[in-house]
Amino acid sequence: MAKKKSKGNIEQDLIRLEEISRVLEEDNVELEKAMSLFEEGVKLSKSCLKTLKEAELKITELKSELGKIAQDED
Amino acid sequence: MNKISQILTVSELTKEIRATLEETFEQISVVGEISNFKSHISGHWYFSLIDSDAVINCTMWKGFNQYVFFTPQDGMKIIANGRLTVYPPRGSYQLDIRSIKPAGLGELQEAFEKLKKKLDSEGLFDEAYKKEIPAFPQKIGVVTAIDGAAFQDLISVASRRFPLAEIVIAPARVQGNGAAASIVNSIKQLNDFPDIDVIIVARGGGSIEDLWAFNEEVVARTIFKSKVPVISGVGHEVDFTIADYVSDLRAPTPSVAMEIATPDIVDINNFILKFISEATENIEELIESKSEAIIQNLDSYGFRLPMNILNRKTQQLDLNINSITQSIDWSMMIYDNKIKLLSKSLEAFDIEKSLKRGFVLVKQNSKFVKRALDFNRDKKAQLKFYDGEITTG
Repeated sequence: MAKKKSKGNIEQDLIRLEEISRVLEEDNVELEKAMSLFEEGVKLSKSCLKTLKEAELKITELKSELGKIAQDED
Repeated sequence: MNKISQILTVSELTKEIRATLEETFEQISVVGEISNFKSHISGHWYFSLIDSDAVINCTMWKGFNQYVFFTPQDGMKIIANGRLTVYPPRGSYQLDIRSIKPAGLGELQEAFEKLKKKLDSEGLFDEAYKKEIPAFPQKIGVVTAIDGAAFQDLISVASRRFPLAEIVIAPARVQGNGAAASIVNSIKQLNDFPDIDVIIVARGGGSIEDLWAFNEEVVARTIFKSKVPVISGVGHEVDFTIADYVSDLRAPTPSVAMEIATPDIVDINNFILKFISEATENIEELIESKSEAIIQNLDSYGFRLPMNILNRKTQQLDLNINSITQSIDWSMMIYDNKIKLLSKSLEAFDIEKSLKRGFVLVKQNSKFVKRALDFNRDKKAQLKFYDGEITTG
């Protein structure tokens, strides 16, 4: 299945953090670029931590077909 | 009744046969091997029971066969319970079956092995068909009994490990009659539901009969056809079902299935915290190294040159200020002397000195009388000499 909707997707955020991490570890990264990446990373981290902290499992129940099967028995 | 002298019609004879057979074999159990099994579209089952020397036709109507936990297979030895019926138009008799059960657990085991071999040879278990389980599922489909222990386990593992996900439960009957059809239906429902990332097909532990629905061919084929990856978590570690072989990943228990399906929120938290500390360290190191570079530049000869010029100019300025201050001090001294001279000359005009020379000050009513016109002859006057005052009158 195709990867869908990036909105609120923690996986995308973690991938981005890894990217930023890699760039920051480079020896010859420009300071300006590093600063803006650092800022972005910290911001993203905070929002991720908040998302994790506030997460609550959502449960959706599909309509059971059991009723239908029971009716067929008549 | 003398049957030899009596001539019966075919119908009369058949009627008597029917009465005899149906009364005699109204409630019987028969053991035999299934042959030529057919499940009709109407839901009725038609097959034969055989042994080495005989065969008997059987029917099992939908109203009864739906309570059978397994789908019979040819070659399976069963014990059937029912009654004998005669069908006059064809002059045939058949076993009308109410219930069946495997002749022994070995029968189920054998059926299991047979189906496994068949599906394996068709390639349904091939690694090539195994779909990848996503690391970060947003919607997890669950096929299980909603009132079962497995469901509670699944929910508790999911909310502990990855509460960011949404659980979409498609309730299913997981044992007994209609279980296989119910599981199939739920898997299909979840495939039709938008954006399901992974499906968990689960059931708690139980006997081979309890778990049998997961050994049904129709369940296996539905799992194989599922567009969404399927993780099976049926029974305990020791239980292997056909569903386990055909699913994209087999988990030993329902709980483990959910653990496989979800990342751990603790790990994610740690990853982020590690990122923050490492990124901070990196950026601090970067700033440190840049400032070291700046200091080194400042210390270089080229950078020191203007500083030296500045220092020299400052020194010159200091000297100038010094000499200006000194000249100001000098003129202050001159003024000071002038003031002293002036105050000396002022002293010459001192009143006391005039008095000494013989001048007198005249006061009336405590005021100096400056003009003759102001002098009041009737009043007392004070005369101030240099050596004292006297009052007249």
